[in-house]
Amino acid sequence: MNIRVPVSWLRDYLKANIAAKTIANLLSLSGPSIERVEKRGDDYIFDVEVTSNRSDAFSVFGIAREANAILTNENIKSELISPKGLNLPLEPDRTNPLTLDVKITDHRLCPRFTAIIVDNVKIKPSPAIICKRLESVGIRAINNIVDISNYIMLELGQPMHTFDFDKIKNHKMTLRPSREGEKIKTLDGKVQKLPKGAIVIEDEGRLIDLCGIMGGENSQITRRTKKVVLFVQAYDPQTIRKTCQALAFRTEAATRFEKGIDLEGIVPALSRAVYLTKQVSNAKIASELIDITAVKSVEKTISLSLNKLKNYLGVEISVEKTTKILGLLGFAVKTTPQVISAVVPSWRILDVKDDVDLIEEIARVYGYHHLPSNLPEGQIPQGGESDLAGVIELKKALKYLSLTEVISYSIIAKELFELSKTKEKEAVELANPLTSEWQFMRPTVLVSLAQVIAENQNIEKDIKVFEVAKTYIKNEGDLPKQDLMLAIAWQNADFYQIKGLVENVFEILLRIPKFQKFTGENHLFEKEEVAQIKVGESLVGTCGILNDQIIDYFNLEGQVAACEINLSTIYQLPTFQLSYKPVPKYSAVIEDISAIFNQKTLLAEIIAQVKKAGSPLVKKVDVIDIFKDEKIGKDKKSVTLRLTYQRSDRTPTQEEVIIVREKIIDAFSKSFQAIIRR
Amino acid sequence: MDKEIKKLATHARTGINSASVLADLEKIYLEIFGKSGTFTNLTKQLSSIPKSKKPKIGQLLNEAKKEIEKTFEQRHNFLKKKRPKEFIDITAPGKKLKLGHLHLISQAIDEIVAIFSKLGFSLESYPEVDWDWYAFESLNMPKNHPARDDWETFFIKSAPKPHFGSQVLTPHTSNGQVREMEKLKKPPIRMLNIARCYRRQIDVSHTPMFHQFEGLFIDEYITIANLKGTLNYFTAKFFGPKRQMRLRPHYFRFTEPSFEVDVTCGVCQGSGCRFCKSGWVELGGAGMVHPKVLEAGNINPHKYTGFAFGWGIERTIAIKTGIGDIRLLYQNDIRFLEQF
Repeated sequence: MNIRVPVSWLRDYLKANIAAKTIANLLSLSGPSIERVEKRGDDYIFDVEVTSNRSDAFSVFGIAREANAILTNENIKSELISPKGLNLPLEPDRTNPLTLDVKITDHRLCPRFTAIIVDNVKIKPSPAIICKRLESVGIRAINNIVDISNYIMLELGQPMHTFDFDKIKNHKMTLRPSREGEKIKTLDGKVQKLPKGAIVIEDEGRLIDLCGIMGGENSQITRRTKKVVLFVQAYDPQTIRKTCQALAFRTEAATRFEKGIDLEGIVPALSRAVYLTKQVSNAKIASELIDITAVKSVEKTISLSLNKLKNYLGVEISVEKTTKILGLLGFAVKTTPQVISAVVPSWRILDVKDDVDLIEEIARVYGYHHLPSNLPEGQIPQGGESDLAGVIELKKALKYLSLTEVISYSIIAKELFELSKTKEKEAVELANPLTSEWQFMRPTVLVSLAQVIAENQNIEKDIKVFEVAKTYIKNEGDLPKQDLMLAIAWQNADFYQIKGLVENVFEILLRIPKFQKFTGENHLFEKEEVAQIKVGESLVGTCGILNDQIIDYFNLEGQVAACEINLSTIYQLPTFQLSYKPVPKYSAVIEDISAIFNQKTLLAEIIAQVKKAGSPLVKKVDVIDIFKDEKIGKDKKSVTLRLTYQRSDRTPTQEEVIIVREKIIDAFSKSFQAIIRR
Repeated sequence: MDKEIKKLATHARTGINSASVLADLEKIYLEIFGKSGTFTNLTKQLSSIPKSKKPKIGQLLNEAKKEIEKTFEQRHNFLKKKRPKEFIDITAPGKKLKLGHLHLISQAIDEIVAIFSKLGFSLESYPEVDWDWYAFESLNMPKNHPARDDWETFFIKSAPKPHFGSQVLTPHTSNGQVREMEKLKKPPIRMLNIARCYRRQIDVSHTPMFHQFEGLFIDEYITIANLKGTLNYFTAKFFGPKRQMRLRPHYFRFTEPSFEVDVTCGVCQGSGCRFCKSGWVELGGAGMVHPKVLEAGNINPHKYTGFAFGWGIERTIAIKTGIGDIRLLYQNDIRFLEQF
């Protein structure tokens, strides 16, 4: 959270003759960051980012305390001056004090409760300096009493509230958890309907305060107010947080209560409030101090070995310097030659818990910029490269094969999820989606790629894209199956083009793919134009032509060839080893052979026959042409194969070749009733 | 004999010079010098002539051979050079093969991995749908801790598991920390995790899915100085040697001390401008691994220390390229993708 700090106000407590910009730079390096320095009239305003653990620094004085420690460490002369009145004795100024009857039903809700009544109050505008300071940080000045409560919050980080004493029925207060549906009209004029368990104060039958968040309108300070209850508390941070979340309503006070309050700072804050009230309206203390403390705060001492400090920092800092830094931050320090013992100041008790926290305090004030910078040494871990390095190489290879990479959301809309026809028991669904556009973890990347083509098809033709991403399949009782997939979609390509590309991919992956008839359930591809891909016995993917349902859903032009390959599975399988074979010494005889087959005769079977009949002379069979034509007959195809006859001891003779060729032709006509074309 | 030689030479010259393509020329050459070529046949006769005439005839044959070969050579060169010369407009576009494009995110990942792998880091992968335990609890972020509000987490519809809690979409890559400790069992650890992360937010600088990268380094005697050294090495390589890096105090539950990592602004080179905060741009978070996190991963915090760092890939791309709206990265407009 950010707070605004006028530099002129900061200088009330930080006596250092140094430019605002320098203070900002040094604070940013060693404490809360000054994100911006804004010039306002003759003053500067710091916009300070305070991390949520530093409740002690959510105030002008807290920032001054930080700055003083940091400047002093940089050898800049600096002094921290406390606000006036922190130690003002809280004793009644009159003989028969007023009383307020306070009951707290659950002390966990309010670890410390203090209040005091002042009378003789004259309501008027605040002095100019208070109005100016409040307004420079964005708070509207209202009147001298209400302004004091805001002023104290900004100055010390302690939120406070003020009631008109005469408006509290029977001068009774009961602090209790709210009941579901109770209502209170707050100072901003809005009626809040409360959840169960918010912290509230009831006088007699009426709620007069939504504690820690905003006071009730019925007991607020008005022009006619004469007696004021000054009210300073700590509340249970979790309860305040939950109430704010439930109401979707948060105030500056609530934000500070949520981070936790310095219990020892409560009475000084009340004293300061009384001091200011006396200053601005001549008020008198009209009651005893009411101070109800549920938990006695315990002093906490942390020990830190100097050796450990050195091991963390990579450099030795002297004991004197260490002690000085901690002292400036409010720690009471004792040292032995090996160990520092530091008593944590009350305002840091929630934050500083272990020796590593002390290390941070010392290191940051010493200055991270003063620490050396060294590359680490030591052993390189065992284990070596993971598969993911291969994924980067694969992506680059695909780029060089002319594919364009897309990255789309892994969370998809219900409609897209349904398009994949994934079974309900396999669905990975978000419990708290942001919008219906992002509701399911996708079980396939292909629907997203189809969408990408749809969105770009008016810009470019024949889009060819890929994505590498995980897909998600529910796995009852365990985490979903999350395998890394390579998906490719290629508009206006046919089956053989995508198959060829897949074969290229497997050459890059150093695995040998087998394409087989698809046997599983398939909702993405055309039934007759799809193949499953295996490496060894493992199913590793699918390729084919996307079905009409997907084409129609996205209004795609033409057909889309696609594949989805499971890289997680493939990387588990062994790569093939490239081995040396001698380059043939004697030239080969190469000849083409054409024959007419039935259209449904598979080329794999034809080639297998050639290899069987031609062994061992036929070393290589390439398909160089396939065509269909009415002239060669209905449901027929002509296939031209290029055969390589080769021997290792000499060039094959014409006679040898003829014998083998005849065997092959014979096998063709026997097995496939093929007719040789001459 | 000498007449025959002269006749052959003349005949050969005419033949060679009449050849109009290289193939014909080769054929004529073979007709003369081949196994049973005219010239070869003539040399065969040399053995049958009287000894006294041999040197003379031999010399004539040699001269004739040289002459024919010279003619052949000239004709060969003539025919070879016959390819017509055309005017070439070297400014006309070439005929390129088509290349594809790598997404900016992948390019950044590639660069980052290359830099850190030189320091012995290896890229690892962990679940993106993970248990609450790895995403929060083991990282010193107990349930109901306000720090967890910042992460705006997506939950998965599923029954929670004892000890591990609910299933969440990882809001950061830090879920890999304890997983890596469990995997390796003991240091040294030098891990890089680059993954898709998810948070419930969308605006100019946030998309519900984004990429984060994270480094984890655990060993004996690892110091803040080592963290500085490592990050200085990275920023100099990734952003260039002119950019400076600094650490500022910050707060994360899983590191102590914690830092915000800044680099000098690339637009103003550190003098301060409207794109940066007083000359600096926030890059990401870092810190010394919290002893409680080491304990959660069964690593003895009294023996080992370590550091972790991580930030959004989109952010580094924005810092490096000046893309203002990171949602562009996921719109997959082909005109955008093809720029890189």
